[in-house]
Amino acid sequence: MTPPTAAGTARPELVTEHVPRRRQAWIERATSSDHKSVGMMYIGAALTFGLTALTALVVMRVQLIVPENTTIDPEIFNRVMSSFAVTGVVLFAIPLALGLFSYIAPLQVGARGVAFPRLNLMSFWLYVAGGFTIYGSFLWRPSEAGFAALPPLSEPLYSNTHGVDAWIVGTALAVLGFVCFAVNLVATLRTMRAPGMAWRRVPPFTWAANLGSYLLLICGPVMLAALVMLFIDRHYGGVFFDPGYGGAPILYEHFASFFFTGAFAFMVIFAAGVISDVLPPFGRKPLFSQRGVMSCMLAIAIVGPLAWMRNMYSAPIPTAFLVLAMLFAVALVIPIGLLIYNWIATIWGGTLRTRAAPLYAIGAISAMTIGLAGDLAWSLIPVGWQIQNTTASQGATIAVMVGAAVLGGFAALHYWMPKITGRLVGDGVAKAALPLILVGLYAFALMAFFAGVKGQPVDIYKFYGGEGLDGYNLVASIGAFVMASGVLLELGNLVHAYGRGVLTGHDPWGAATLEWYATSPPPVHNFDVVPDVRSSEPLYDIRRAIANRTYTWRPAAREAAPDQPAPEAVETGGPTTGSR
Amino acid sequence: MATRKRLRRLALYICLALAALALLAVPAGASVFGPRQAHSPNASDIRTAYWVAIIVGAVLIIAVHAFLIAALVRFRARRGRSPRRFTAGHRAFARPAVPLVAIAVGLFVFAIVMTTKTRDVQATGPEGLGADSDLVAQVNGLSIPSGSPVLNINVIGQRWLWRFEYPGGRPGDRVFSYGQLTVPVDTAVLLHLTSTDVTHRWFIPTLGGQVDAIPGQDVSTWFRADQTGTFSGQSTSYSGSAYATMRAWVHVVTAQQYQSFISSKRKQLAQAQDYVSKKLGETTSGVPTP
Repeated sequence: MTPPTAAGTARPELVTEHVPRRRQAWIERATSSDHKSVGMMYIGAALTFGLTALTALVVMRVQLIVPENTTIDPEIFNRVMSSFAVTGVVLFAIPLALGLFSYIAPLQVGARGVAFPRLNLMSFWLYVAGGFTIYGSFLWRPSEAGFAALPPLSEPLYSNTHGVDAWIVGTALAVLGFVCFAVNLVATLRTMRAPGMAWRRVPPFTWAANLGSYLLLICGPVMLAALVMLFIDRHYGGVFFDPGYGGAPILYEHFASFFFTGAFAFMVIFAAGVISDVLPPFGRKPLFSQRGVMSCMLAIAIVGPLAWMRNMYSAPIPTAFLVLAMLFAVALVIPIGLLIYNWIATIWGGTLRTRAAPLYAIGAISAMTIGLAGDLAWSLIPVGWQIQNTTASQGATIAVMVGAAVLGGFAALHYWMPKITGRLVGDGVAKAALPLILVGLYAFALMAFFAGVKGQPVDIYKFYGGEGLDGYNLVASIGAFVMASGVLLELGNLVHAYGRGVLTGHDPWGAATLEWYATSPPPVHNFDVVPDVRSSEPLYDIRRAIANRTYTWRPAAREAAPDQPAPEAVETGGPTTGSR
Repeated sequence: MATRKRLRRLALYICLALAALALLAVPAGASVFGPRQAHSPNASDIRTAYWVAIIVGAVLIIAVHAFLIAALVRFRARRGRSPRRFTAGHRAFARPAVPLVAIAVGLFVFAIVMTTKTRDVQATGPEGLGADSDLVAQVNGLSIPSGSPVLNINVIGQRWLWRFEYPGGRPGDRVFSYGQLTVPVDTAVLLHLTSTDVTHRWFIPTLGGQVDAIPGQDVSTWFRADQTGTFSGQSTSYSGSAYATMRAWVHVVTAQQYQSFISSKRKQLAQAQDYVSKKLGETTSGVPTP
């Protein structure tokens, strides 16, 4: 008799499989509302846009390699720059996280699917439509209005092209997609967890998915509102951001800053989830404190976006608000520090298998530590006056975002690709690419940081000689190229492994979370048998029970249907034979 | 075992040597890793805050990496070693939380003090301009010493240069210059920033932090240059196609040179105006009036 459980009872179900497909594979892929298929499309699209962002970064660093360079036209540079941040954050980093959330999180809580599968699918196509709208404008004349299209510059008086409209609509479509995604995931995780999967037993990655969804639900609509207001200003005679009619351009800055700060917190939480899931199986040791990790992530989710004004210390905002923003920004050092403590304590005393996934996770910790230390310095108001809007803040932000999205994303893909494809990702190339990425990133971010401290503004298409900035920019550019080569190498490695990796078993890492209970790749319905969960390490319990030969699986007695007799205990010989 | 011990000692020596080298490198590094030299009291306050923040950040980075590397080296999988399965006990986070809270509170209080200090306008020194100027007690969060002369200058951002309007003269008839601001040394200079088109940002790294110039708003900042010379900076708010060329220079001169600069500039402007009105008179007189 199983103990009473949180979300109903688990029963074996009749499932149909291998129904002949009548449509072509790509139509099946594009229209399937299976959360795993949607997740794979998200990951694929995000990596493609990541390649675009990488190209944009290399183009910009080519221009900034020597002072007063004329390799690239200022107009071209400004167009690339205006789409770079939105590509990196909205089209690459967030969707990569969403793809993994969509694929893994329902599996981790033992759900058979998601609550609103079609909404999930629609969110993907909204995002892709947004990306195509932004990049479609490159066929005519894209936005030159800067990375966040701040008014008054993005008002029709100064940006009288449809490129800005494409930027606004594209970003709005993608953000709308994220909000739809978040609705689905929040509902799924609230209602469809397996019996016994209480919130305190949810794996950190799923907790990250939950918190990230709430963040998108809060920050996404703010950005949507700002974009709609800007669109009304541009086309329907609105004056929201027109100072000539009493509008406030700073309002847009608040909204956009709130969204981008929320996205930043989202990525930190995503990476925290990945690292907390990856380290335990490779160290053969449980997470040091699941409760601690979850509380720290919750604290980051709450406090992180509240610090949005720390990007705006130079704006005419009353000092009290700036101090409040600084309080939130500085307070972040506590949960982030405790998270890092937790990860080190998780490695401590274990036996770390140095495969690519934990190494990338440790690389992500290192890069995020360096970037967040720069962020901490920048959070102090006087220091912010000196280094915000310079390449110093860019260097710190890029260190965190590359650490979270690229290194954290690669760690996650190394860890979960065997689940997604049933094939291992090669370790050799990955271990060669990791030092390239790290060394390149550090050279780039640190040199950009110190150039910014000297006063080099961000987003300029050229810098002047004789100001002592030449050396920094040269090294930063070389670092960016080295990093880009490492990322390309690892992307190639992943693409190769997708079709031709070494075939592996269903649970190659000996992990303790429920996604490894399903086959690799999982069937459409995820689990033949949903196990009942009794701790935060359900697979560890099962393995131990098998080792002790004490485990028989019994379905719980039905409570609400007395007319049907309770089914007999099904001898599966342990859940392993049920799914293997 | 003996070799391992020796290796460990060697590693310790290497670390100590590197630390000593790093200490030696601090004075040299100050020019590489620090901001430009300050030439105004507010800029030097910002320098102080910067060095404190960057040292705290560096200590955090080094501590985290030391533990990460130690964990990675010590607890790699080796044959015959099994993991110790332990999790956090009661109050496991009290010990690491104490220094973190201390860092957060310390930095927060320190930054508030420095913010107030940076915003306190310092009185004009003995070498400064003693001329009478408009005296304002409180301007947008800046506290201004009463009874001290302050040079008020309007700074107007427009794509892609700065216009400076000097005090004195009737409102429509003031002395102005573009691109280069000339100010007297050792004088409290109060800048009133605004913009005629998009948002710009005033930033001369040696003379203080960044301040927005927003259309329709008057935002103030100040500096007091401690020596003569020319200090450059550039706008840090993206403003469209020629953004990178939007630079500004502050030319600091002695008080006498400043006064002669103003009078000569006024003469030049009057001449130019005369010339223009004469030309305008010629052309209009040539045109037959209906």
